[in-house]
Amino acid sequence: MPRTTTLECSGCPPLRALAFDALGLIKVVEARDKQRGIPQVVERWGDPESSKCVMAVSMIDRNSQPLLAVARKNNEIEVLSPVNGDIQATISDASGLHICSEENNIVGLHLFGKQKSEIASGCCTLLTCTTKGNASIRSVELADSSTESSRTDSPKTWNVCSGGNISCCKVDGQENFALFGGKGVEINIWDINNLTKIWNSKSPPKDNLGIFTPTWFTSATFLMNDDHRKFVAGTNSHQVRLYDISAQRRPVLSVDFRETPIKALAADIDGHSVYVGNGSGDMASFDIRTGKMLGGFSGKCSGSIRSIVRHPELPIIASCGLDSYLRLWDTKTRQLLSAIFLKQHIMHVLFDSKFDVKGVDSVPSKGKTQTEIMLDEEVEVLPSKRKKSSRNNEHVEDGGERKKKSKHSKKERKKSEGKDGSEKIATRDERRKSTLKKKNNS
Amino acid sequence: MGGKRRKNDDSDVEDSDSASSKRKKTLTTEKKDQLRPSMIKNKEKRSELHAKLKHQKKLDKRAKAKSRDAAIKRALELGEELPEKKVPRTIENTREFDETVCKPDDEELFAGNEADEFSSILHQQQTPKILITTCRFHSTRGPAFISELLSVIPNAHYFKRGTYDLKKIVEYAKNKDFTSIIVVHTNRREPDALLIIGVPNGPTAHFKLSKLVLRKDIKSHGTPTSHKPELVLNNFTTRLGSRIGRLIQSLFPQDPEFKGRRVVTFHNQRDFVFFRHHRYIFENKVVKKAESKGKKDKDDKSDNVPEQKTIARLQECGPRFTLKLISLQNGTFDTKGGEYEWVHKPEMDTSRRRFFL
Repeated sequence: MPRTTTLECSGCPPLRALAFDALGLIKVVEARDKQRGIPQVVERWGDPESSKCVMAVSMIDRNSQPLLAVARKNNEIEVLSPVNGDIQATISDASGLHICSEENNIVGLHLFGKQKSEIASGCCTLLTCTTKGNASIRSVELADSSTESSRTDSPKTWNVCSGGNISCCKVDGQENFALFGGKGVEINIWDINNLTKIWNSKSPPKDNLGIFTPTWFTSATFLMNDDHRKFVAGTNSHQVRLYDISAQRRPVLSVDFRETPIKALAADIDGHSVYVGNGSGDMASFDIRTGKMLGGFSGKCSGSIRSIVRHPELPIIASCGLDSYLRLWDTKTRQLLSAIFLKQHIMHVLFDSKFDVKGVDSVPSKGKTQTEIMLDEEVEVLPSKRKKSSRNNEHVEDGGERKKKSKHSKKERKKSEGKDGSEKIATRDERRKSTLKKKNNS
Repeated sequence: MGGKRRKNDDSDVEDSDSASSKRKKTLTTEKKDQLRPSMIKNKEKRSELHAKLKHQKKLDKRAKAKSRDAAIKRALELGEELPEKKVPRTIENTREFDETVCKPDDEELFAGNEADEFSSILHQQQTPKILITTCRFHSTRGPAFISELLSVIPNAHYFKRGTYDLKKIVEYAKNKDFTSIIVVHTNRREPDALLIIGVPNGPTAHFKLSKLVLRKDIKSHGTPTSHKPELVLNNFTTRLGSRIGRLIQSLFPQDPEFKGRRVVTFHNQRDFVFFRHHRYIFENKVVKKAESKGKKDKDDKSDNVPEQKTIARLQECGPRFTLKLISLQNGTFDTKGGEYEWVHKPEMDTSRRRFFL
């Protein structure tokens, strides 16, 4: 008998993921079994057409009326329902203020999900950013039929950079700040509410040989959901950098990863692990506090990784890329749970965390951890200005401490940082408690 | 000492066992099982036994073939169904299941093919124009190989590499409307790698090149004409394979001149792509019926008119080499910032029966 080796895939818990590919197709992948489900493609939305190649996606992941926005290569933005794929609105950018061309594609897209009032009125707010740095915020009225779509007000537009190409655009968890970066563009952070640039990064100094590596950011992500000050960026010169706005303009930490450009980054919900994927299909997770690699994800990835997404509740990440596989991994063991062949180059992947299988009663709510519930509550509490400033002070001190510490020996640093982390968590918890108390009092 | 004695004891026991078993079963088969040549320490005896076994094997094989032939003959005479022909088990036909193998009814595949970089060439909206260049330093077999490549691929132009960067050359090719670039890389005066770059935004395939035999080293080779060749692509089955196949296809004109009777073959077997270049000819040959048969039925001579049969004869011309894919990169040549669609990694080699093309 021929000796065959099959990859042991342990299957994954019930989940639902959306994959967006180079032909503009949206494929819905679902694992339905309660225990060890093998995910399968359940639905396919759209017709294959190369001009509809997906450039950027964004989703509001909520129980009632979830929304999904997809930016295509022909500069159309579609707002869909992630449940059944109905198009609720389409925006063609030809009518917009800036003329989109072949080179000026949309690279960044974000759907604002926090404004509750808008849901009732049936419209949504979008942030878009093109390669040349034209960012705009507009609100779109959602029509029930796909044919009818209208824009309610003229978009607020501004220019993010004077030269270079934007390649990454992210909005923080509170949806107050957005970061932009790219080829020849240092990362800059904007306050979305009043459209002012609040911070600009500075390129690291020349190395010991006097060589300056040109700026080229390929991906970025905010580290924590409730903190816009710390973010991680990946560069074309295969570096993963941690920036802290409150500390300094240069990276606090930078780590090299293999030899091809970093193409995808995702932060874990624990606030310190980061998942990194690069151009030759290597994936690894880093503890960004120390810059140590926790381990690699090995599962015969042969093509560049375009997108990594962490499941909001389950300990699962999904990766996809040019090898046209959607892969699901366990974050703890870093084992491959499942790989699905989706035939085309896949550009993006998203999790629909509010997926509920009939018969599986409320697994997600069970999976919801304590911290997240806390987070949700914190979201409801509007952060007052005074509190913010106090926080800032805290962090500045923190940065100072770190600088001092760098003089100490490694062992000491490790210990102290371990303590530091625990302390931080403790302080955060305290803060949360205090906010809760405030809320209760009020 | 003790160990030795025990050994002796064991052998004694074995002997007795074997003796008993001999009594039970037939002699010949048992002997074969029992005495293997490797058990004998004396070389002369061992080789004697080995020769004997080998002879026996040969006889068995012959007898088997004879019986099989007889069975076929009998089946033919009786008009029964022929006994099933056994297919030997090879690595290729016991290939591991691969979900990426293209299916003929996959509309998504065709849509993907329509959208890819080569479709304009393959639909003959664009004629392929190839730029051939080399690595920085090349000599002896390199230039000879390139001159042969130029005769194989129509509309190919050789440019001296000079000291230009490959990225500059790609830019130049874009401006001059080339459709592909081939870079022959030599190491120690021996071509060892081939880079095929699609222009303007096609993928970059990096092949290892081995087993290169030039035209003059092929016995009784032919010299190819300048007709456009026919192209044969064999066994490119998976998604990656079809992409590589289309990349190769885009090097050649899509309207072959059948008058030239030239065939260029890319044959994929176990991820190795074999290149061959042939000239074929159809000959009408008079087939004499086998003499013995003719003697048998001498009576109906009228039936024994010399039969015309067309046979194809091949003459090999042009180089002969083998390619193995190392990586397929998205976009044009860019080693630092490039994104790979496929890279060979050692962790993928866990099975001999898994192939990627």
